[in-house]
Amino acid sequence: MIRLALLASSVLALAATASSPASASQADAKKGPTMGPAYFTGTWEDPMPREILRPELGVLPERAGPPPADPPLKPEALAEWKAAARKNAEMLAKGEVPITPNALCQPPGFPGMMGPVFPIEVLQTPNQITITQEAFSQTRRIYLNEKQIAFEDAEPTYYGHSVGHWEGNVLYVNTVGLKDFIRNRNTPHSDQMSIDEKITVAPEKVTIEFTQTDPVYLTRPFSWKVEWAKRHDYKMNEFVCENNKIEVDPATGLQRLSE
Amino acid sequence: MGISIFRGLRGVALAAVALVVGAPASAHHSFAMFDNEHQVKITGTVAEFQWTNPHIYIAINGGKAGEAAQKWTIEGASPGILNRVGWKFNMIKPGDKVVMIVAPMRSGGNSALLKEITLPSGKVMNNGGFAGPALIH
Repeated sequence: MIRLALLASSVLALAATASSPASASQADAKKGPTMGPAYFTGTWEDPMPREILRPELGVLPERAGPPPADPPLKPEALAEWKAAARKNAEMLAKGEVPITPNALCQPPGFPGMMGPVFPIEVLQTPNQITITQEAFSQTRRIYLNEKQIAFEDAEPTYYGHSVGHWEGNVLYVNTVGLKDFIRNRNTPHSDQMSIDEKITVAPEKVTIEFTQTDPVYLTRPFSWKVEWAKRHDYKMNEFVCENNKIEVDPATGLQRLSE
Repeated sequence: MGISIFRGLRGVALAAVALVVGAPASAHHSFAMFDNEHQVKITGTVAEFQWTNPHIYIAINGGKAGEAAQKWTIEGASPGILNRVGWKFNMIKPGDKVVMIVAPMRSGGNSALLKEITLPSGKVMNNGGFAGPALIH
């Protein structure tokens, strides 16, 4: 049904292109009819970049919000997760920062790259949506109207294997095949874990509702949300992790800044 | 009035930094290793200005008032963030006399996180929101 609708809209779009190239190209700029029913090519960002721009404000309380609920892990994994979170909090409170892949210039991967604090650029082409994140120049590709591959065929990667389809102005995406250490809030996962995204596109706002499912580690799926605001004039900066002075202190194994 | 608001927000900012570390954020590393409560003012001559990701660095020969000059390595935010708060890649040059308010490493040594820099022109630049404000002047 959905496929038929998509096919019909593609045919209509093609017909429009054929009948009036000039007006069709104007329509492309506004709507991108061959790219899908909603056009969100461009640069986006967390709606509250004030933290970046104004240090006197600190990180805004509404950003910090209440602490998110623990992931619904099965008991043994939950106990380990809580112990790790507690240890991390205790260390940070003392100013001891454990070494992390990020600190050593490894990119966060998916879903971390979809969140703040750096801007994000979306590029729509007929069969693919490409999303790039300024931090670490991260890139993920969402293949449109393809069937998701089987878990056993999904090579573990930083961004996973993503397929998507449009229903009106909502892009539904499913991602499988993430490396073990690419984790949402340090939540362990199996090779049967998948993350669904419901990406609702409005003219100035994108809302992404994530749902993580994992029959091995989780008692039930759990969800979280990210919002983006349009940044009309922003041009993405290059980000190559070129000069990293964060290093492992050989005495403590903790992060330090080299002199 | 401003100062009391900033003091109140400081705790929130610190708590949020901890959250960011636990969350799937794109930040490069936690600033918890820097002693935000004991900021110092250092004055010196720029030896090197590295405009690079994931952070920019300013190396100076200088130090606190009354102390012998030493090499200090000061970390700033990323070029992308600093571009947005008004910095430019060629804004600082070797030989420039600068004054900086910084949060030193808790473990000691002459490495620190930048809070604020005063350029030879007298212009004062901050280090983006996540580094937090200068608490001394």
